[in-house]
Amino acid sequence: MTHRLFMLDVPENTPIAAVARDAPGVEVDKLGPYFVIASEDPVTIDRRATGARHAVWYSCVGGLDGCRIAQWDKDALRLERR
Amino acid sequence: MNHVRIGLVVPSSNVTVETEMPAILNRHPQASFSFHSSRMRMAKVSPEQLAAMNAQRERCILELGDASPDVILYACLVALMSVGPGEHQRVEGLVAEQLATGGAEARVRSSAGSLIEGLQALSARRIALVTPYMRPLAEKVVAYLEAEGFEVADWRALEVEDNRDVGCIPGDRVMEAARNLDLTGVDALVISACVQMPSLPLVEAAEQELGVPVLSAATAGAYSILRAAGLPVDIPGAGSLLRADSLQPAI
Amino acid sequence: MSPLSDQHLVRGVDHAAFPTFDPAGTVRFYRDTLGFPVVHSICAAGWGPDDHPDFIHFFFDIGNDDRIAFFYYFGLPAPQVSKGDVYAQFGDETPEWFVRSRHLAIHVDSEDHLLEYRRRLDASQWPVEMQIQHETIESIYTHDPNGYMVEITRALRPVTPQEDLDANLTIDALVDIAQRPGAGMDELLVRKAELIIERAETWQEHQRALVEDTRSDQVAGPEGPVAR
Repeated sequence: MTHRLFMLDVPENTPIAAVARDAPGVEVDKLGPYFVIASEDPVTIDRRATGARHAVWYSCVGGLDGCRIAQWDKDALRLERR
Repeated sequence: MNHVRIGLVVPSSNVTVETEMPAILNRHPQASFSFHSSRMRMAKVSPEQLAAMNAQRERCILELGDASPDVILYACLVALMSVGPGEHQRVEGLVAEQLATGGAEARVRSSAGSLIEGLQALSARRIALVTPYMRPLAEKVVAYLEAEGFEVADWRALEVEDNRDVGCIPGDRVMEAARNLDLTGVDALVISACVQMPSLPLVEAAEQELGVPVLSAATAGAYSILRAAGLPVDIPGAGSLLRADSLQPAI
Repeated sequence: MSPLSDQHLVRGVDHAAFPTFDPAGTVRFYRDTLGFPVVHSICAAGWGPDDHPDFIHFFFDIGNDDRIAFFYYFGLPAPQVSKGDVYAQFGDETPEWFVRSRHLAIHVDSEDHLLEYRRRLDASQWPVEMQIQHETIESIYTHDPNGYMVEITRALRPVTPQEDLDANLTIDALVDIAQRPGAGMDELLVRKAELIIERAETWQEHQRALVEDTRSDQVAGPEGPVAR
């Protein structure tokens, strides 16, 4: 798994992690109090599917390991290999 | 020679503090003093007029602040003590804050706080008092001093309400009241717990006659001003409090 | 070492002070509209080396014994403000989000209390300009008669311990990368991932141990079990 996104496990972020878990080729695990969203391939999380409010959506990313943010707007968060 | 500017906040009907304070401090061997007063309207020493007078404090401090005094003395003892315990700390704190907010460096004292400071300097615990006040106000002064930890063994209230008349109480009458006090075991006698009741000529004489340290609101105020100005306390003929730095400590 | 040297000793805001050129409007806003009592005032003059006018320094209670204070200087001409406030003016090219970044936020305990202040402001000449739910807080905003932005805010839920950890990791990452030329959010998130990998698991175990300590204290404490 070369892409890893860290996301703090707080109630507001739980639906985002759940949407990520349903994406093909994505595994969601925990490291300490963080969700670890991991994948070999680019990952796209659809904002509307998460139902996240503006402020929650734009503060959900905790850390990037091996990937970079290619898109992060009102539609989606997309991660690509660095 | 050091020059010290003294700001006095005085009741408008007071004539004694501006007479006695210069008379005391101008005997100081190392410094010269000038006196600058601001007045709060007050004629009758009643709770209502004292409260109305205290409300004028802020204006008086503004006026005195303009003269860049080194020490300001809030020269009405009963105005603060009649409010209740701790009032002199509260008022001195407010005046200090007002001065500091405007960048003034004056030290702040009150005759209420000075009397306590003077009694403590004499290591007095058991004391006696002569006051000019009406009895209910005199009782408040006694209670205030008791709240500060002093035991008031005996006291007299001369019951003069008009403050102009207080300024004319004859020394004989004050001495007579002092002689009638029970001074058994008393550490210090406050011969005038009021800066308006004239008493300066009595202090040294009463100390000789009665055999206890004698102070007044005026001599205590002078003591406190000298301490605030960082000057030695060594003034002859006004009681042992004002010779504090020249007397040998008792062994 | 002083017994105080490792302690967090401060106790909130004593007062935050601002100049005003509109004392009457300021009193109408804070005391008469928001209902913040006047708790202190000082009349003073410029007695120090600087030449400055007579002034009034006055204080409103903002709860918790904290205070907001104002200085009113007699005769001092008010600045022309097109953007900013009476203390800080900006050119028209300065973005609004930058101007708003400096503001005072006052806490309330509940939605009811937040809405009560919304009601008071909406009935005044300073109605609420925005009501926003952030991540874990909800806030209303307006500008006082001096142009200062005032926020009133409530927590949607308590802050959790992992959020404190997260904040510390963010700030450590920021301190590490802030000096790098051109560093941006990507550098921060990469550095923060390294810190998460380094510390998150240890932190979790430490938290678990703390919870277990508390539990065993409850069972074995001198007072006996706290709860059945």
